[in-house]
Amino acid sequence: MRYWGCVLLIGLLVACSSSPPPSDVIHLSELHPLPVRLVSDVVPLRVSVAAVVSPQGTLESYQPLLDYLSHQLDRPVELVQRQTYTETNTLIEENAVDIAFVCTSAYIEGHDRFGMELLAAPQVNGAASYQSLLIVPASSSAHNMADLAGLVFAFTDPISFSGRVYPTYLVQQLGSTPEDFFARTFFTYNHDNAIRAVANGIADGAAVDSLVYDFAVQRDPALATQVRVIHRSPAFGIPPVVINPNARPQLKAMLQELLLNMAVDPEGQAALAMLGVEEFVLLDDDTYDSARAIIQTVETVSP
Amino acid sequence: MKHPFWNRWVQRLWRVVGAVNIRIKIMGIVLGLVVLMGVTVTLQVRANLIRTLDQLLEEQSVSIGRDVAARSTDLILINNLYGLHQLLEDTRTNNPNVRYAFITDAQNHILVHTFGDGFPAELLQANATDSGDHHRTAILQTDEGQIWDTAVSIFEGRAGTARIGVSDASLRVMLDALTGQIMLTTVLAAIIGITAAAALTWVLTRPILQLVGAAQAVERGDFRPRIARWANDEIGELTDAFNAMVGALARAQDERAERDLLRIQYVKGVISAQEDERRRIARELHDSTSQTLTSLVIGLRQLSEIDNPAETRQRAEELRAIAAQTLGDVHGLALQLRPSVLDDLGLPAAIQRHVADCRRRHQLNIDLAITGFDDERLSPEVETALYRITQEALTNIVRHAHAQTASIFIERSNGTVRTVIEDDGIGFDPAQSEHLDGHLGLYGIRERAELLGGKLTIESERTRGTSLYIEIPVGGGSHDYNPNSTGG
Repeated sequence: MRYWGCVLLIGLLVACSSSPPPSDVIHLSELHPLPVRLVSDVVPLRVSVAAVVSPQGTLESYQPLLDYLSHQLDRPVELVQRQTYTETNTLIEENAVDIAFVCTSAYIEGHDRFGMELLAAPQVNGAASYQSLLIVPASSSAHNMADLAGLVFAFTDPISFSGRVYPTYLVQQLGSTPEDFFARTFFTYNHDNAIRAVANGIADGAAVDSLVYDFAVQRDPALATQVRVIHRSPAFGIPPVVINPNARPQLKAMLQELLLNMAVDPEGQAALAMLGVEEFVLLDDDTYDSARAIIQTVETVSP
Repeated sequence: MKHPFWNRWVQRLWRVVGAVNIRIKIMGIVLGLVVLMGVTVTLQVRANLIRTLDQLLEEQSVSIGRDVAARSTDLILINNLYGLHQLLEDTRTNNPNVRYAFITDAQNHILVHTFGDGFPAELLQANATDSGDHHRTAILQTDEGQIWDTAVSIFEGRAGTARIGVSDASLRVMLDALTGQIMLTTVLAAIIGITAAAALTWVLTRPILQLVGAAQAVERGDFRPRIARWANDEIGELTDAFNAMVGALARAQDERAERDLLRIQYVKGVISAQEDERRRIARELHDSTSQTLTSLVIGLRQLSEIDNPAETRQRAEELRAIAAQTLGDVHGLALQLRPSVLDDLGLPAAIQRHVADCRRRHQLNIDLAITGFDDERLSPEVETALYRITQEALTNIVRHAHAQTASIFIERSNGTVRTVIEDDGIGFDPAQSEHLDGHLGLYGIRERAELLGGKLTIESERTRGTSLYIEIPVGGGSHDYNPNSTGG
């Protein structure tokens, strides 16, 4: 019995002694400088997409296209997104990206300021044009812009044609300015958020890209029951694919050929389908003259 | 199945515990209970809290990680590093338990982190989401304690991973504070418990110590101490029993002293009576027997000098008469010393004769009834005792009771002789002992009864007469006395 007592005692001592400290302790206070990122010798093709839709939506929609380009060019493709159209234009101007998908007014601004060049333009429903849609919540009693006086209005981007310039133009036609006409305005920075802001009743109205709207309703039919289109603008030049005026001509030619031939390539067709685009076509700058005229009108009234 | 090893330990333990006084024992019990409760509660609460807090930390780590991942998606996609940095700083500021947060891009390069200058070497590889999983929590052992590290995929991993480290340090501090508080409460409870136990033991042991003191006083022969009843509990009962015992001891002591005194007086009386008797016998022998024997001697000498046969015969006749008278005197003397009627005729006859003598001499009405004796004799000691008891009782009645009537009832049955002697005299208070004469007589009666294993009960009241009940066991009836067998 004495021996059992000893065994018990030793057992207790062993049980009570602390377990050895684990070898893989992480030292949070020992800080090491982060490794400097090595510049890859393979230069990726940098593609920028203006924030027409949300960054996530953009990535989802454009990923097949990026993959296609990467595959065809046999080089990595990097998507560069920025919050505003202006930032994207700056990327083009500074040659920080090779090509960009920009908004109509952003193209006009870039073209007129530093010679941003058209590379191609998407064609949707047989036309390379789009409209600005004035939308209100489904429960709203408004039927035109005049009915939105004294309410809250959501703009998309400060230089968006369909989301800012055209509704400003409509207000100016009513003899007012957005600042005076609406109780309050705010920027959503992309068309997805503008539609959601109206659907959720945060804004009493917004103007959005018809392509984005149709795409959104197609993806989420319930949206059509939450918002109502009360006005459609005339057709304007569709948001194009642009390139820096000083880009290498070979690169420009290669990219143009690639985009224009996508529709005949099954892999390219799948990527186009994800964007809701039939094919890429060539457009002349004068396609954008109607939009350019409205921009000039708006800027004349409120520079 | 007792084992000598354990027995030895139990004995050792008891030697220590048993030697401690009762106050320490009770306080030890209270202190032990409080400490046991305190330690048990502390350990239990601590264990439960640790389990709950661990769960809480894990949940917090996951929820903050998900929140950061959701809010960082667009910031990563539009390359808003400042916004990301601000998001992490805000997360840290708003969640004090968050030790660190960092975000990696899809290639596992760190975009932003909250460590300032530099980054802990091993941390980046310490946790990662498995492919397909939205998030994964790992418990990391760090030099600052445990960290619940949650990795959350951002935009299904395409935008990168958010990593949140939740530390248990602040909760440990809270836990330690709580433990300290419980222990402090335990200490306070122990102090209160000890104080209460001290008061309780004082209450409990005070009467015990008083009892000890009183018992020691009684041992010294001091029967005065009485202890006040302290409470209506067992100790109160013990106190009452002790007081009753001391009272009984004191009474017994008084009775013994009284009986010792009576015995001394009785013995003195017996001795002096013996001396009186001897003096009387000596006087009797000297005055009567020795005179007549002298005259016999003289007569016999004269007889030898007479020649005349007729005168000789006459003188011889005279001398025979003198001798006969002397014989009669000696016989009477012997009879006075011990009534032969008791030996010859037995107890009933002796008592009847004595009663008859009393009636005649003292003009007292005495009823006498003796039953159950038949022809069987009792042992000589019992007969003598009963005779002397009756004699003594009648003497008391004659001397002290001033009674008109007395009755004596003696019955033998079932191996016991019961004697009842009553009178209609003045009576007395049995509790008082001023009547030393009568008491001496009663003492003699009691002594004789008790010598034979019997007892005396006295019932008396002033002016109501006196009754004596005497019971003496005589052993069945088989204990019969045959006078012939003694050879006397």
